[in-house]
Amino acid sequence: MNFTFNEDDIAFQDAAHRVCADVLKTHAARYDETREFCQESLRALGELGFWSMNLPSEYGGVDISSIGMSLAVEEIAYHCAATCSSLTAHFLATDSVLIGATEAQRQALLPLCASGEKLGAFALTEPGAGSNPAEMRTRAVRTADGWHLTGTKHYITNGAFADFLVVYAKTDPDQGHRGISAFLVDRHTPGISFSSPEKTLGLRGSHIYEIDFDCVLPDDALMGEEGAGFATAMEVLDRGRVEVAAMSVGIARAAYDASIAWSKERIIAGKPLGRHQGIQWMLAEMHAQLEAARLVTYKAADARDSGQRFSLESAVAKLVASEAAAKVTDAAVQVHGGYGYISDLPVERYYRDARITRIFEGTSEIQKIIIGRAITA
Amino acid sequence: MKILVAVKRVIDYNVKIRVKPDHSDVDLSNVKMALNPFCEIAVEEAVRLKEAGVASEVVVASIGPQAVQEQLRTALALGADRAIHVDAPAALDALVIAKLLQAVVAAERPGLVLLGKQAIDSDNNQTGQMLAALMGVPQGTFASQLSVEGDALRVTREIDGGLETLELTLPAVITADLRLNEPRYAKLPDIMKAKKKPLDRWTPEELEVVVTAHQRLLKVEPPAERQGGIKVSSVSELVERLRNDAKVIS
Repeated sequence: MNFTFNEDDIAFQDAAHRVCADVLKTHAARYDETREFCQESLRALGELGFWSMNLPSEYGGVDISSIGMSLAVEEIAYHCAATCSSLTAHFLATDSVLIGATEAQRQALLPLCASGEKLGAFALTEPGAGSNPAEMRTRAVRTADGWHLTGTKHYITNGAFADFLVVYAKTDPDQGHRGISAFLVDRHTPGISFSSPEKTLGLRGSHIYEIDFDCVLPDDALMGEEGAGFATAMEVLDRGRVEVAAMSVGIARAAYDASIAWSKERIIAGKPLGRHQGIQWMLAEMHAQLEAARLVTYKAADARDSGQRFSLESAVAKLVASEAAAKVTDAAVQVHGGYGYISDLPVERYYRDARITRIFEGTSEIQKIIIGRAITA
Repeated sequence: MKILVAVKRVIDYNVKIRVKPDHSDVDLSNVKMALNPFCEIAVEEAVRLKEAGVASEVVVASIGPQAVQEQLRTALALGADRAIHVDAPAALDALVIAKLLQAVVAAERPGLVLLGKQAIDSDNNQTGQMLAALMGVPQGTFASQLSVEGDALRVTREIDGGLETLELTLPAVITADLRLNEPRYAKLPDIMKAKKKPLDRWTPEELEVVVTAHQRLLKVEPPAERQGGIKVSSVSELVERLRNDAKVIS
């Protein structure tokens, strides 16, 4: 294991910090309060090239290392976790194209995704298929007119705001997960209907939708090879888990920084909160948890760049970082006392925003299954 | 027209400054460094002049150890065409910096030299003025607006009590004030492209400038720590406190 920050990584972190501290930070509380979609922040990141971080330069990307990308994702989550969630959902869609699509499909779509012109959504989960994607019921049947897509997806981040969706559907229900294929679906295809955005606990500026499909897609909507969808999705999620880990670190760091500042400012019994040993212990645990989360995240990012399989590292990073984010944001509310419970300060938002990191892109329990299988194989 | 922009590496403006325990200097260990904000405004102005077709090339220069190349790269990512690193010790006197810049100007022959009005670390506000004097050209300091019309440069300056507009002949030296423009954010692809832009390293010897210290830093003291304020419940209590505790009214 050997990971260091090169000058590109630092430059990207710095660039992310600048725009996030100036732009994202100013909208974050409003998005949370009004449940307005994080459009403005997401577009600002797009114009500066942040939508391209997961792509190589031949498709309009910037060839940044996964560690540099993790640093930038952490910075984005630190200032607005909702925007971070919508951005990483876009990465799930474009990673799908990068991994599973034909060269012609990649060339046609990815440069527009990199430049911030086309926003993607990743449609895998269904009401009856979350941790068990192989049991999905969405069907795509080849007809004379093209692919007839029917079914329902839910919890789809970006949904109605996306320009295109990568929809995973069964093309051969008898083949189990090998019968799953992916489709590139234009958002404006007739026969797609979006629910209103779900009312979520956190990440309220990043909308998730239930989507019903009863539509006909052109023949070339099939992404890559028939039957390869499940393998693509699993590889995409391996990559995405590193980003969820980085996002968790960002939220946890925001809660930690707020707590440290508060511990110096708030006076209890004649001395700053942070001079009381009981609070120091809480802050010390937060610090240690944040540090551990950060290191497993960097290790997974480094593994992702190595070209080897990194399912184990990304599952460990996702598990450790998301659980740390939950603990650190909970402790941050506790350090702030009553002030941590009201929305005048961002701490209660961090607490709510962190909660989903233990659930999406594979729950903590799923990560333990992945880790358990890998270490006992 | 070629524009030369001189930039300085300073402590990031967000960092809380710590003084070394022996008061010998500001503590720079493990501190985030950045492009001086006024220098960034100068770079932005030069890039805008190029985008407007007024300038043909933007060259950015910085003086200091190897690390200043980070800030040169930032300037390149913001749109400068090439960079010159004058490899010299950190924290030189303004006069030595001005002499080194004069030598760079002699080699590069820019039509316009842009600098920040001052650096946020030492707040000297001297380099631009000294450089103009050494070059024997007009200067427009504290610029809040700039336009080039043929061989003339129109510059609006922020002065005590208002604005002053001057017309200068080129070549000239301009120092940027806060309101000259709002610098753009670097785009990620431009950060990567900046690596491929030329960055030359020069030494004071090559520039035939003797680096000597004209001044010595004796002591750095942090400002007195502020005591927390108090809240008063009424105007009469406020008056009483001002009279008896603060003793600022009688």
